[in-house]
Amino acid sequence: MLTIQNVTKNYGKRTALKQVSFTIPKGSCYGFVGPNGAGKSTLLKILASIIQDYKGEITFSKQINNSNRKKQIGYVPQEICLEQTLSAYSNLYFFGKLYGLKGKALQLRASEVLQDIGLTERAKDKVIHFSGGMKRRLNIGCALMHQPKLIIMDEPTVGIDPQSRAFIFEMIKQLKQDNCTIIYASHYMEEVEQLCDEVTFIDQGEIVEKGMVDDLLQKYAVPSIFIKVSDTLPNNLKQFGTLSKSKGGYLLTTETPLRAMEAALHVYQDDADKLERLELVQPSLEEVFFSLTGSQLRD
Amino acid sequence: MGPIFALEMKKNLQDRGLLFWMLILPIIFTVLFIAVFTTGVDASTRQQVTTSIVPGYAVMFVFFIMISMVSTFIKDRDLGMTARIASTPLSPYLYLMGKWLTYMSIVLIQMIILFLFGKLVYNVSLEQPVLLFILALFLAFTATGLGLALAVLVKTDNMGLAITQIIGLGGALLSGLWIPIDMMPDFMQSIAHFLPHYWAHQAFQDAMNGTLLYSNLFQTLLILFGFGFVGFIIALLRYPHFLKLARG
Repeated sequence: MLTIQNVTKNYGKRTALKQVSFTIPKGSCYGFVGPNGAGKSTLLKILASIIQDYKGEITFSKQINNSNRKKQIGYVPQEICLEQTLSAYSNLYFFGKLYGLKGKALQLRASEVLQDIGLTERAKDKVIHFSGGMKRRLNIGCALMHQPKLIIMDEPTVGIDPQSRAFIFEMIKQLKQDNCTIIYASHYMEEVEQLCDEVTFIDQGEIVEKGMVDDLLQKYAVPSIFIKVSDTLPNNLKQFGTLSKSKGGYLLTTETPLRAMEAALHVYQDDADKLERLELVQPSLEEVFFSLTGSQLRD
Repeated sequence: MGPIFALEMKKNLQDRGLLFWMLILPIIFTVLFIAVFTTGVDASTRQQVTTSIVPGYAVMFVFFIMISMVSTFIKDRDLGMTARIASTPLSPYLYLMGKWLTYMSIVLIQMIILFLFGKLVYNVSLEQPVLLFILALFLAFTATGLGLALAVLVKTDNMGLAITQIIGLGGALLSGLWIPIDMMPDFMQSIAHFLPHYWAHQAFQDAMNGTLLYSNLFQTLLILFGFGFVGFIIALLRYPHFLKLARG
């Protein structure tokens, strides 16, 4: 669908992106993960043709031809870019018109999108009276008016309630089913883990690592177990890996988590009351990022 | 350009702040100052005063459109709307034109309403209506051209507001829009000749009285066009920088 080769973008002396290269397959949901200021938004703005003065090469597949590229890309900015004093319908109508929709087709499409984003009942209400989650949904809806093949989403769930987040996740899953290619930038690792097939880690303008989510978890994330006991931790657990204090208990990072759990259970089999909690901790992308960059995500 | 024009018109028509700046405030000023200056004067003087004050405040408040122009451009830039629109097939220059045409139309409507108010309430003469309309069109170009330049030059709303006050109020004071130009010191009368407010005001008064000669009309139109054109060129030259800021 899309190949990015050696893309570099400088703001004066500051380098926002440095020799970034990757390929996004058609129909995939491709995640960009990195802390604030990593260069994600700059990269997405380049892909959406908003920033045009950059070095490097971006090649789209034949499906998206250069002459009407913008008509086939939908861009959801990080900011809520809506006309607050107008209704949800008017906002969708406006963006539909910008993409060349007219007359009945435009009205019909606006009604369809309102339904998709769950705002049919509030179609005539002014955006200024909407909740954060509703505004976010409408912000996405405006980018879907022209039924783009490639959808670029820049932190589409910032500052919203869990219900709206779940709604947006369902929308994205539906778009994937409809064979849209989605580029999804976020600094919420769990979102990317849940939605994306492939991911690129970006930090300080450079790609740190990229690959399939499962492969990266397999390659970098070391599993661990969480153990909480009412007396001192038995010494024999230390042989399985590295112990550290965490949330009132201990985190044992180990290559053999099941063996370590078995050992813990064996110690406390006659005195089960002392073992308050014992659980397997699933490796996460956050740990992968941590192990790659040596720093946790900055907010 | 059509969608931008339609959207901006819809937004502005709902904006009560704009209604206040562009129509209510000039009407209040007109009524107040006519009341002050026509108390105890004969009919002829009264006619003279109203023929000066009605176009005077129309000209002054036309320049206040610059506040709205600055505000909309800065808001769109800072909230990311300009960047978002850049991701659509609409050319950035059509975006600029769409906005400009909206404000041209608003200023034209404003002037028509203010002159009609003068006619209906104070029965001012509108002897050369076609010439009045042409003058209004050119003045709208001047004010919006300067407004466009200001909108893409300033960094904040407040800076735009301050400069608009200087252009609107300062220009009005120096051009004899508040007090008859003949009563002002010679040096101020000389300065007035360098301001579009003065030329528009004089031409409007002549057209209202039916005494505007074509030679004077063309001279005034040329001056008004010149100011607007300079503003427009500055706006076009500065626009890429504005877009760069807006696009991040």
